[in-house]
Amino acid sequence: MMNASDFKYVESSQKESKEQIRPSLTYWKDAWRRLKKNVMAMIGLAMVIVIVLSAIFGPMLTPYSYSDQITDFSNIPPKIEIYQIKDGVYVYLSGQYRLILVSEDGELVERLPQIGSDLIHRVYTYEYEGLPVEVDYSNRLLEESDVDIVITYDGVTIDQPTKSVWNKTFLLGSDNLGRDVLTRVLFGARISLTVALVATLVNLFICVAYGAISGFEGGRLDNFMMRSVDVIDSIPLLLYVILLMVLINDRGLWTIVITLGSVYWVGMARLVRGQVLGLKEQEYVLAARIIGVPKHKIIIRHLIPNAMGPILVAMTMMIPTAVFTESFLSFIGLGISAPQASWGTLANDSLSAINMYPYQLLIPSFAIALTMLSFNFLGDGLRSALDPRLRKG
Amino acid sequence: MKNYYLKRVLSAILTLFIVITLTFFMMHSIPGGPFTREKALPDEIIEILNEKYHLDDPLWKQYLDYMLGVVTFDLGPSFRELGRTVNGLIADGFPASMKVGLFAVVVIIVFGIPIGIISALKQNKFVDHAAMFLATLGVTIPGFVLATLYITLVAANVDFIPITWINSPQNIGESIFRYIGPVIGLSGYSLSFVSRLTRSSMLEVLRQDYIRTARANGLSERRVIFKHALKNALIPVVTYIGPMTAAILTGSFVIEKIFVIPGIGRYFVESVSNRDYTVILGMTVFYAALYVVMVLLVDVAYSFIDPRIRLGKKLGD
Amino acid sequence: MKKILEVKNLRTTFFTHVGEVQAVRGISFDLEEGDILGIVGESGSGKSVTSLSIMGLVDDPGRITEGEILFESIDLSKLTNEEMAEYRGNEISMIFQDPMTSINPVFSIGNQMIEVIMRHTKMTKEEARQRAIELLKMVGIPEPEVRIKNYPHQFSGGMRQRVMIAMAISCNPKLLIADEPTTALDVTIQAQILELMRSLKDKINSSVILITHDLGVIAEICNKVIVMYGGMIMEKSDIYSLYEKPQHPYTRGLLQSVPKNVTGTKKRLIPIEGTPPDLLSPPKGCPFSPRCPHAMEICLKEASPLYRISDTQEASCWLHHPDAPVVEGFVKVEVK
Repeated sequence: MMNASDFKYVESSQKESKEQIRPSLTYWKDAWRRLKKNVMAMIGLAMVIVIVLSAIFGPMLTPYSYSDQITDFSNIPPKIEIYQIKDGVYVYLSGQYRLILVSEDGELVERLPQIGSDLIHRVYTYEYEGLPVEVDYSNRLLEESDVDIVITYDGVTIDQPTKSVWNKTFLLGSDNLGRDVLTRVLFGARISLTVALVATLVNLFICVAYGAISGFEGGRLDNFMMRSVDVIDSIPLLLYVILLMVLINDRGLWTIVITLGSVYWVGMARLVRGQVLGLKEQEYVLAARIIGVPKHKIIIRHLIPNAMGPILVAMTMMIPTAVFTESFLSFIGLGISAPQASWGTLANDSLSAINMYPYQLLIPSFAIALTMLSFNFLGDGLRSALDPRLRKG
Repeated sequence: MKNYYLKRVLSAILTLFIVITLTFFMMHSIPGGPFTREKALPDEIIEILNEKYHLDDPLWKQYLDYMLGVVTFDLGPSFRELGRTVNGLIADGFPASMKVGLFAVVVIIVFGIPIGIISALKQNKFVDHAAMFLATLGVTIPGFVLATLYITLVAANVDFIPITWINSPQNIGESIFRYIGPVIGLSGYSLSFVSRLTRSSMLEVLRQDYIRTARANGLSERRVIFKHALKNALIPVVTYIGPMTAAILTGSFVIEKIFVIPGIGRYFVESVSNRDYTVILGMTVFYAALYVVMVLLVDVAYSFIDPRIRLGKKLGD
Repeated sequence: MKKILEVKNLRTTFFTHVGEVQAVRGISFDLEEGDILGIVGESGSGKSVTSLSIMGLVDDPGRITEGEILFESIDLSKLTNEEMAEYRGNEISMIFQDPMTSINPVFSIGNQMIEVIMRHTKMTKEEARQRAIELLKMVGIPEPEVRIKNYPHQFSGGMRQRVMIAMAISCNPKLLIADEPTTALDVTIQAQILELMRSLKDKINSSVILITHDLGVIAEICNKVIVMYGGMIMEKSDIYSLYEKPQHPYTRGLLQSVPKNVTGTKKRLIPIEGTPPDLLSPPKGCPFSPRCPHAMEICLKEASPLYRISDTQEASCWLHHPDAPVVEGFVKVEVK
């Protein structure tokens, strides 16, 4: 019900409470807030951190170095089937038909010497504690068979593995020279990531310098610089990298870094130049010029920091490209020289053994894929987060 | 309109010219010449070979000779496999690369575009999320990793699926199944990229005002999507498919190595490890040329889809 | 006069993930045959959403939550999309604000016009083509037989808007809705387009709803006006009463803030203080109250009913209540 007091005029102060006040955020805080909400990007970030930490500290934590070889234990997978030939005594038959003594929980103890081979009946004989161990592998040649090998020792015959255990000596298995795959992968991480990061930084430096100068100067210089970039960019950049690597016969880390770093910036020069073009019309730039601030200072202190957003995104996306390119180069034989290895070299080396020992190819491939995935998720998230069009308040 | 095509063709020729020149001079900057090997050949032999292949001519003459050769489609002899020409090697290897490549391109177009469209139409539903998740994986996981996974998980365990490429298949099964692995490796990235691109392009187009106008005029939803939206949405996709085709047709080095396909990719890799410079040079020229031609074709196709490009901007009244 | 359109208590809400945005909050109005009804308001007032609601073109996540839209006794708000499509472009047409982006750039205008004509009539392609040429002539495009093959980018802005109009009237709609048709155009072209619309309306015998934020445009061709604010109707009036004796503080404010070319008089422009309401949490009471110079306690608590000032004028403002203080120019009304 209405009454007379309802029709009194309202004080202006009461009306102001209707106004909305939202806290204003800086560009970066706002972007971080948006990034945090993006689940995939956060997962990517977490994985990137894990990978980087593993690369830095991992190799220190393993008992092996990347070149330590135990040839007796070559090509042993991460998970092995062991046969109990006697109480507390287990053996494993490797793909190369070596018989390895294994502890109950998966430690490789020693290789048992081979003392005989009967190729007609398909039996190899080894020796343990003075007694022969016979391994009959004739069943492997049958099309269908429940039985793989039959081991006879001291009167006992077993035809089924006792159990499967995880390899405790080499957590991810060993390669064809008896090197620990895990250690190699961790060292590989160091190499692959270092190459990727440094190459990206080199790219960034060249790209930003080139793009900033081109955009800032404008006019004919800009035209020429951008046309040149376009011509270079019209062929897949990978070709240039391959050619350069072929020419510069050196297989060192720095060669690869410089090569990668001097080619890929081309793809982003336009982006940076576009940013600079947009920013240089801003009033604070005009003000700086009037005051007489030298050109290079304007570029370095005003334009570049403000263009950082897209540049940052481009950098994050360049890292997986660099990882991929480096792996690719290694795969075709243009990568780091042995015994050092990047993930690409590891993959390449194990390619021929893909049938027998797939884990040797899978593990570095997986590392490559995981790294690229993480950086891509992160990069995607960054791109959305830094997009000024999505800014609210 | 003629202007547009002319500019494109000139630009293509210029690019090729620069790339060939660059590679030529890069190749010739290597100390020692192409006949230097670990086990040095006797000097007289080197001299004879140099003379035979005109390597003792002044540099500018060699350059002109080479350019002339390129224009007449003669890319010179191989220095490692004496007696064979670069052209010969390319002709040998291209058919295999092309077969697999075409298969991959067809797969990409036939599957990638519809997946993108469906994801756009069912945005944020399960189909969309699932498809885009797979696409993200496909784009970030390198082709050779996918190929590796395929081999270890599928080909190794299934009998009738061959692990490596079979050049002379014995039956229908073999001739079809031998494509699966290489096609997965070759198309993984692009298939995913095309799906994502089609989807985002479609979404962008569906937001446009002219789509609203089409609906406001009472056109059926089917017409709105498949006539009005699709043509616009495909523009960026077409732009991508051109260069993509060139890259795929010339065979990924790595995929051919993994599956032992006798394509030019593999020959390229071999020539790289052998330091067979004319072959490297010649194949690079071949790649570049093919690439540039595809881009040109795309530009032409593009002008047919988008009349704004074809007819230039003019004012009406 | 026959009623073409009756909108009763229309409510349209957008269910976004930040909350419910109530764009249209209970509006009712009628359109009679031959009317050119202007809907005027600021951005965010709900005028565009109203027109989209009538057309059934409100996109996800929005939808009509309440009310009726009666067109020839059929409630459009209850029709399916397919049923509504029969009306769109046919008996009810719409033209949009930006002609640059509102026509598909990759098809010729002939192609697009013929498509619409053949969709709603039984004409053959050749007949439709002739009709399209006729329409282009009607809207003032020179050399229509040639231009029909042209693409949108080959027309200037004004020409493009004419083409849009041609498309919209191609099937002789009974109702034509124009959403800010001249906002994106030059002032000189504006007058031409409005004149075109007025002459066409008579030729094809349709009624028009013209949406705009520009009072000058309203004055040009409308005979009736609705003033909207904050998703609600503030005032409904015939054109003369609106300008001579506005009965709502908002309308007054609008009129005072428009530069008028009255020779000899130097009057100050009086802008309306404050900002439009947040439709996520719309205020209780009258949406204009925070900015209203005459706001009363009750204005903050409850929205005013629509007071019938005369046969042709209604206003939603408590100032018309007999108990309200007297303000010059505001009439008191006994009956609601």
